[in-house]
Amino acid sequence: MAIGLEHYLTVAALLFTIGIVGIFLNRRNVIIILMSVELMLLAVNINLVAFSTHTGNLVGQVFALFVLTVAAAEAAIGLAILVVYFRNRGTIAVRDINMMKG
Amino acid sequence: MDSGFWSGYLWPTIWIVIQIVIVVGPLLGAVAYLTLAERKILGAIQLRQGPMVVGPFGLLQPLADGLKLFVKETIVPAGANRAVFFIAPMLTFLLSLVAWAVIPFGDNMVIANINVGVLYLFAISSLGVYGIIMAGWASNSRYAFLGGLRSAAQMVSYEVSIGFIIISVLLCAGSLNLSEIVRAQEGLWFFIPLFPMFIVFFVSALAETNRAPFDLPEGESEITGGFMVEYSAMTYALFFLGEYANMILMSAFATILFLGGWLPPLSIPPFTWVPGPIWFILKICVVLFVFIWVRGTMPRYRYDQLMRLGWKVFLPFSLGWVIVTAGVLVTFGWLPE
Amino acid sequence: MFVVTLAFYLFATVTIGSALMVISARNPVHSVLFLILAFFSAAALFVLMGAEFLAMILVVVYVGAVAVLFLFVVMMLDIDFRELKQGFLQYLPLGVLIGVVLAVELIFVIGSVALIADQEALAEGQALPLTQGNIEALGRVLYTQYLFLFQAAGLVLLVAMIGAIVLTLRHRVGVRRQKVSDQVSRRPEDVVIKVRPGVGEGV
Repeated sequence: MAIGLEHYLTVAALLFTIGIVGIFLNRRNVIIILMSVELMLLAVNINLVAFSTHTGNLVGQVFALFVLTVAAAEAAIGLAILVVYFRNRGTIAVRDINMMKG
Repeated sequence: MDSGFWSGYLWPTIWIVIQIVIVVGPLLGAVAYLTLAERKILGAIQLRQGPMVVGPFGLLQPLADGLKLFVKETIVPAGANRAVFFIAPMLTFLLSLVAWAVIPFGDNMVIANINVGVLYLFAISSLGVYGIIMAGWASNSRYAFLGGLRSAAQMVSYEVSIGFIIISVLLCAGSLNLSEIVRAQEGLWFFIPLFPMFIVFFVSALAETNRAPFDLPEGESEITGGFMVEYSAMTYALFFLGEYANMILMSAFATILFLGGWLPPLSIPPFTWVPGPIWFILKICVVLFVFIWVRGTMPRYRYDQLMRLGWKVFLPFSLGWVIVTAGVLVTFGWLPE
Repeated sequence: MFVVTLAFYLFATVTIGSALMVISARNPVHSVLFLILAFFSAAALFVLMGAEFLAMILVVVYVGAVAVLFLFVVMMLDIDFRELKQGFLQYLPLGVLIGVVLAVELIFVIGSVALIADQEALAEGQALPLTQGNIEALGRVLYTQYLFLFQAAGLVLLVAMIGAIVLTLRHRVGVRRQKVSDQVSRRPEDVVIKVRPGVGEGV
């Protein structure tokens, strides 16, 4: 069976779903949440590149490159915030990060 | 149908396997004898003879070393994460072999002639960091962990300047295909116009492969062997082989980017009688000799000095050189088409 | 085409399998290692689709930098992960239900995408050239038509870099650094004193 657009889109859809379920299940663990976000961005990238090659339009790959850039920047800042928070509080339990609540 | 299967699938598969054996076989032999060459050359630098006992002039020493490591007992530390502990040396060794798929030995003598060959080598060296981090973490030992993290940070830092140097060479050559880069040096090898980049690349390659003077994270006298301290016998042999294969790979990479790959120095008859692969191997041997020479000559860098060199000296310099190269090429119209 | 099909199914299975292991591994270091495997097999999928430059860049950026960052943070922060994993089994049925519903909805959409044939809208963008290499084609488009986005992405990275450094840099008191210029400009006559002590006398 020839591998067509639908196959790649299915893989991307499953990956996206797994990312969302990961956030759902690991709601107390900030690092796994960040990794699930990376999985979702990867799924989006697969989608963009699949459409780009299917329609013969290079915009998809250009946009995927930018998504990659922004994902890397966001992972860096997210982890920096995590490290600083851990230095100040000694824990990264998500439910304890509510000190500014009224 | 039958002949379609043979010519379409079976024969190309067999041909690729033959090519892989032709590359990997001599490579493993070269790695083994590189260890002997290193000990002999270091001995000569230190006014002694090196191994002389096993075989004539010590030539069977690598076989003796291999046999010893093979029959030694593999010890796994208590509390170590077994899966990761065993995957780390296998990953290091695998990556140093896999990278040889894109190295051209001569005209059209390459296993995989891909258009992003340079990026592929860069990606493989980025992956090489993981073998070390995993080894350091899985050993459940403080020296190993510290050595592994330091080594990984060092490798990641020097990869950045290697990336910029690759861009300089790419500007001059016009393609990321390794064979095209060698062909672009037919008139002039790149180490002449890009000489500072050659020096920076060589030093960064020393740091990438954790060789002296950048071997603080794995130096035996400083941190008791760093990330390799808990590994014995075959696992240690795999790390060792992986490190030396990586050294040969970096030398091959430097040769392709700067020293003209398989091209003879001058394209006139006495030099062109020697086949391309022989020139390639000779140049790799020269670069390896300088690797070993530097090990015997220079004292070790301290870790903060090493990181300072990578980030505050090499990175701005190679970035500036990219701009200078681009400017010169555009001004004089020497851009490759 | 048999090899392409086999390769696709192999890499797709590895990607989805390692993504599942990312969210359910007990040891966070194992999670990060499975994330690396997921990225790597996704890069292989990109190569199968023909975007080889993007595949290599994915490995270099994601696996070579972002995942190393994750690994460092996971290994160096002393976190009690057992406590953080407690809600896992409690939310598992609901999570799987939502996941299945979402996946089914997405796959329905994909089924209908195959029927769309809107050729005019597709022809407006940049055509994927078959004669040039993937890199050259990307370069031609990136530096001319999408130059503003390219510079904006550079600015995003610059701000992220400055932000990460500002957040995590701390000045420790009492650390002595070396000043290389002082060391290099030191002259022997400033530092070395020649003394001629008598016999039996000290300096």
